[in-house]
Amino acid sequence: MNPELSSYAASALAGPLLLAAAAFAGLILPLFLRPLRGAQGLLALGAAVTGLVFFRRPPSAELALFGGALTLTPLTAYIWAFALAATAAVCVISISAQAEPEEFRGEYYFLLLMSACGLMALAAAGDLFTAFIALELMSLPVYALAGITRGKAGLEAALKYFMLGSFGSALLIMGIALLNAVCPSLSFAALKGAQGTAAAAGFMLATAGFAFKTALVPFHMWVPDVYEGAPAQVSAFMAAAVKAGGALLLCRLFCLLDAGPAREAFWWLAAVTMVTANLAALAQDGLKRLLAYSSVAQAGYLATAFFGGEQGRAALLYYVPVYAAATVGAFAVAAAAGGGEKGPAVKDLAGLARRRPWLAAAMAVFMLSLAGIPPAAGFFAKFYAFAAAAAGGRGGLVVLAAVMSAVSLFYYLRVTVVMFMAAPEAEQAPEAGGAGEVLAVLLAAGLLAAGLFSGALLGPAAAAARWF
Amino acid sequence: MELLTNPLSLMILLPAAAGLALLALPERFAGAAAPLGAAAAFASLCVAARLWLGFDPAVTAMQFGLDRPWLPYFGITYSLGIDGLSLALIILAALLTAAGALASFGQIKESRPAFYGCLLLTEAALAGVFAARDLFVFYLFWEAMLVPMYFLVGVWGGERRVHAAVKFFVYTVAGSALMLAAMLWLAAARHAAAGAWSFRITDLCGAAGPAQGALFAAFALAFAVKVPLIPLHTWLPDAHAEAPTAGSVLLAGLLLKTGVYGFIRIGVPLFPQAAAAAAPWLAGAGAAGVIYASLAAWRQRDIKRLIAYSSIAHLGLVVVGIMSFDLTAVSGAALQMFNHGVSTGALFLLAGLLHERRHTRLIEDYGGLAASVPAFAAVFLVTALSSIGLPGLNGFVGEALVLFGSFRVYPWAAAAALSGVVLSAVYMLGLYQQVFFGPLRRTENRVIADLRPREWACLLPLLALMFYVGLKPGALLRRLEPAAASYIESARPGALPPAAPKEGK
Repeated sequence: MNPELSSYAASALAGPLLLAAAAFAGLILPLFLRPLRGAQGLLALGAAVTGLVFFRRPPSAELALFGGALTLTPLTAYIWAFALAATAAVCVISISAQAEPEEFRGEYYFLLLMSACGLMALAAAGDLFTAFIALELMSLPVYALAGITRGKAGLEAALKYFMLGSFGSALLIMGIALLNAVCPSLSFAALKGAQGTAAAAGFMLATAGFAFKTALVPFHMWVPDVYEGAPAQVSAFMAAAVKAGGALLLCRLFCLLDAGPAREAFWWLAAVTMVTANLAALAQDGLKRLLAYSSVAQAGYLATAFFGGEQGRAALLYYVPVYAAATVGAFAVAAAAGGGEKGPAVKDLAGLARRRPWLAAAMAVFMLSLAGIPPAAGFFAKFYAFAAAAAGGRGGLVVLAAVMSAVSLFYYLRVTVVMFMAAPEAEQAPEAGGAGEVLAVLLAAGLLAAGLFSGALLGPAAAAARWF
Repeated sequence: MELLTNPLSLMILLPAAAGLALLALPERFAGAAAPLGAAAAFASLCVAARLWLGFDPAVTAMQFGLDRPWLPYFGITYSLGIDGLSLALIILAALLTAAGALASFGQIKESRPAFYGCLLLTEAALAGVFAARDLFVFYLFWEAMLVPMYFLVGVWGGERRVHAAVKFFVYTVAGSALMLAAMLWLAAARHAAAGAWSFRITDLCGAAGPAQGALFAAFALAFAVKVPLIPLHTWLPDAHAEAPTAGSVLLAGLLLKTGVYGFIRIGVPLFPQAAAAAAPWLAGAGAAGVIYASLAAWRQRDIKRLIAYSSIAHLGLVVVGIMSFDLTAVSGAALQMFNHGVSTGALFLLAGLLHERRHTRLIEDYGGLAASVPAFAAVFLVTALSSIGLPGLNGFVGEALVLFGSFRVYPWAAAAALSGVVLSAVYMLGLYQQVFFGPLRRTENRVIADLRPREWACLLPLLALMFYVGLKPGALLRRLEPAAASYIESARPGALPPAAPKEGK
């Protein structure tokens, strides 16, 4: 390895190591140093932001570490930057909404940062078995985070998530075992084009396992209850980071498949997801449930991009942060709107435009972005994904996606109607916003800019897309 | 820099920037919002005037062309350029926005900065639709236009505003969902054939291939919802009636035109064979719309709903004109698009001023106003006559040209449309008679104020245009005819794509 590359590897690895160090520091140091108690959030935020600030543009090469178990490519770097940003955003919401449980603050941030490390390991995994371990590292902390407030809804969410998540993991490990029988090395490069019944079954099972994390229908059953019961910022983390990890691995699996029935399975997954989730979202009253179904529907659009070849993968990598920014922002609004353990109902947002105009405006941008209305970045993301899929010869899927996007407008618009056009039940005074509101406004501004100036994000995404 | 020095680009970016700035204006400066909004609208009007002065009617190619790569990964270009038709509609957009901004001074009390922000953003998006030479840019503005309009109707509208706003938004977005898919399909076909992405309209001509019928249907659906052609019109009366005055003015004056404009600029040139096959049906729907909407207008009890239905009728006539592919009819239809914007815009302004004074839109609440507000009555009369198409006023020229031209192609549709012209006299004069003549039945109507100077200021330019176009239509027709001719040229199956935009002016 030449010195330049190894210096890059060292600096790149500093990101996850920093998060891990901050996680342990936040867990252990406050036991001895009283002043640090309560500052774990800032510590975690600082680690994530520092990682982002010192992020280096990756060289266009593949660096294999630990005998190929981890590989550093521009794709890895792209997802790592995304993981750091998502973690930082979730930390801001946690601090601002004072949502982290006081007695478990150290554990809370430890779990959050460990899960982020899991996502980073997942993005770097060079073989399927490492990917499994990384997936578990990402998932296990989130199971605990879902129930960390120990409320009834939270515990129910944690249990449900754990049970169904374990089921997904079991499917995945079964698939890996089958693939291992065909192809002992399990590295992605070796798995490409593996033939035979056992390989096909293995791919299908592994797909099912990752589809659980990505929340594609019919592997989405846990999503509504878990997103609703978990604290808003944890739901945001699940919707952004966990889903991104799942989608990334699904796309990597998809790239290993030759044209054939296994690829058609993805067609059906995408189509069924878009239809079911959008229709189900129409009937939701709770804001967090609505966002849950919305995130399932968005996974369907993500899967549409798989069919677009390399451009589709670039579109996917553009889509993920755009979707995540809108969803994290919307959960930040849900956290700010209060409403008890299950979060606010959509109708509780009535009069938000009066009370907190900036927060309401930001929420409107998030909803329009998720609905794919220009000039928000969500429109550009959908456009790129669908354009790539159309060029990949999947016109029918694009028609379905476009129609379901129009359907989704009903539920996204309802939120804006309530905020801007419905009279609140009681007159409320304007409220001051905290860091969460600043974050929401920044995310909204970013979503407006990321669309019109797509090049800034699409360029790195296209560079990363070559390394699937 | 070219983005700001090109007047066409400035026509989009100036109101957009002003609109965003107003949206972000803190509440404590809310008092300054109305003058600032009006000032920005007038600045845009000056840019539009610059376009008019710099436009060379002798040149048939697109003018003020701008073609910059924007999102090269998908071959998207920020490509602008206008011909006479786009020019007329952009000027109309600037004029009606300025008039609407002025007229709203006394009508909008709440969240003024956001109101003027939305108004200006709508103007920017409209200018973008009319200036776009790239299908992606067109679609972007086409959809983006809905957002500020949705808030205009939903936040500052009448009693049933939420219903109207959601219906409007959902109807139009649902209509254009398939357009997005069709557009991607078309671009993917072009990508497969040429090996590179491009969304330039000129590049996409002839790319449709065998799927032309389905693709045209998807585009036509989106455009027909906007026009609107019956039976896709049901969103319109609600939206127009519930919108605040400035919103109704822009909806009727311009948003509907984007549908017709879409047929002219995109639907027909990209899919000439399919368009030729569908033209009689579309013309028939237009003619049916004329009769149906005229009859419906006759039975309305609400002034704004009446004007809204009259818009459907007028646009039906325009569709008959553009679908006849006859130079006289198409030029007339283009002129009639402008005329309808002027006269219906003025009608909605007047209806808004009446509502501001009496807080009712019901016809039966008025009566005998000619005695209490003579100047108002006179202005309303001229506007109503212009809308009916009285010779000497603008509406006559456009309607006559459409009818003469389309009669050669579709005698039955033209005859049906002619009956609509007669019906328009029935409902418009009926409205005038019930509102302004007869005894003063209500004491409130005795004391209402006549036109104030500010209100004169927004109406006088429109009145002047009614007379000017009616008496001397040549100035506008000279600019519209080349556009009409190139549209007809593009509609010939197997025609060459229209000339590429000329750089610079």
